Amino acid sequence: MAAKNQIKVVLMSYKYSFMREMLNKTSFISGIVFMMLNNACMVGQWIVLFTLKADFGGYGFREIILLWGFAAGTYGVAHAFFAQAFHLSDLIVNGKLDAYLVQPKNILISVITSAIIPHALGDIIFAYVACFIYSFNIKVFLLFTLLIITGGLILTSLAAILNSLSFWLKNSDIIADTGVSAVIFFATYPDGIFHGLTKWILFTIIPVGIANYIPVRSIINCDYSLILFNILACILFIAFAFIIFYRGLKRYASGNLMSARV
Amino acid sequence: MAIIEVKKLSKTFKVKLKEKGLIGSLKAIIKPKYKKVEAVKNISFEIEKGEVVAFIGPNGAGKSTTIKMMTSILYPDKGSINIMGLDPTKDRKKLAYQIGTVFGQKEQLWTHLTPYDNFKFFGAIYDINPSVIEKKIDEFRELFELDEFINTPVRNLSLGQRIRCEIVASLIHEPKILFLDEPTIGLDPVVKENIRTLIKRMNKEYKTTIFLTSHDVSDIEKLCKRVIIINNGQVVLDDSMENLKYHYLNKKLVDAKMKEKINLDDEEGITILKDKGYNLKLEVDITKRSVADAIKLLDPDKIIDINISNVPLEDIISNIYKNKE
Repeated sequence: MAAKNQIKVVLMSYKYSFMREMLNKTSFISGIVFMMLNNACMVGQWIVLFTLKADFGGYGFREIILLWGFAAGTYGVAHAFFAQAFHLSDLIVNGKLDAYLVQPKNILISVITSAIIPHALGDIIFAYVACFIYSFNIKVFLLFTLLIITGGLILTSLAAILNSLSFWLKNSDIIADTGVSAVIFFATYPDGIFHGLTKWILFTIIPVGIANYIPVRSIINCDYSLILFNILACILFIAFAFIIFYRGLKRYASGNLMSARV
Repeated sequence: MAIIEVKKLSKTFKVKLKEKGLIGSLKAIIKPKYKKVEAVKNISFEIEKGEVVAFIGPNGAGKSTTIKMMTSILYPDKGSINIMGLDPTKDRKKLAYQIGTVFGQKEQLWTHLTPYDNFKFFGAIYDINPSVIEKKIDEFRELFELDEFINTPVRNLSLGQRIRCEIVASLIHEPKILFLDEPTIGLDPVVKENIRTLIKRMNKEYKTTIFLTSHDVSDIEKLCKRVIIINNGQVVLDDSMENLKYHYLNKKLVDAKMKEKINLDDEEGITILKDKGYNLKLEVDITKRSVADAIKLLDPDKIIDINISNVPLEDIISNIYKNKE
């Protein structure tokens, strides 16, 4: 019952956030369209590269399209539906969590779902276009959908964990931005081009391997054990994000800055 | 039985110190210095059901910190809080159903939505059935006269209308206790009076216990039957408004306009506060002298006009703050 009510509030929150973003119709639509174009331009670079070489780290052109689509999809899911996870540091440092703390709902869920970023919808649309270019197949579509959600949740959890360090460090937004940007940056390169220590880092400190590379491999090879691994990793990341956030919350100092919920 | 019990509550903040200028900033990076600020020191009080209590003090006295600990926003360092049998540090969600909060400086409403949509959202947050929310909104719309602006986006409302909506939103789940942190801040006198009427009505109609902080003495005088004064993180006075006035209103002010100049000096129990020749202002300590003594001293035949008044409550409270520092 509590979970049902929490989902109801989250859905209402999305509805009202969409209403807010749609107040400026031009900005809303152009944000979505330009993000799709931006992604398409980046893929254009790979088209040029593939005229020079047929294979990059074991990825052909179709696989690269899938990789790009997957990277856009995870980014899109994380930023469209959990946008505030990426701004948690500001909310913590400037004492903007008060309104959520006095409500009988899960604080972390309520906070991170309280805003959307419209252009992230452009990423999701682009992701599906890329998925269909890779393979117009229902199984691929379902796997892709499942895994961009788990990937998006891993990215969101990483953002929440790093931003929650602000409870201890006072301002961890630079750490969080760097960590999240690193995942987004490496997500668009095939993992086969990385070796040794770099590859180890990409599967541990910068968990792009878990959020992106493994899921893409599992779609290409239809490997269910990797999918299961990915789901378990996602659950662990979420659990860790909740533990860090709630541990830190005991150190929350609030604040007296004037603020409004916009 | 008390609805709120606060026992030996303390909260300390660690504040980073920084010397002035660029060198100070560099020093703060290399070797940061901190100081501990004891915002709340060992305070205790109890509040009964249905009471309207003013929790007042100068800026930085620890009012907001105390309210925030009582509403689960901050964790206390020491002491305990019991609100309707719930501990705010452990029972945050359960407590949230029982209390309402309005922070005058922090808006909880979505500014792009209308009050109506906001109330529906708050209803969902408190798991209220949609049909029940509709009934509640209708009830509040009538009771708190919201008709004029219930369908106007919050960002287009005046400050007074917005605060009124904040209060209504905090009541949507019928809380047993309402915490109001400076609800009338920045409002004009007419709107302040409206908000006070609304608070009074809430207390009367719904028997809501009200815990109010305000710097506006009129709020306290017109709404509260009990005053808790906090200064430097400690409770310096916890008494009924009646007692506060009785014990501290032992001085009268006598303003007199005279036909001719008279020369007066301070006497025991009578202090000359202002002497501008024809206009005099005396303070009479009625525990030592009577007002009649002061009038005799002025010589009644020479008085054109006279006004006898109590010392304003604001001055009394300021004196309590100063004396306990």
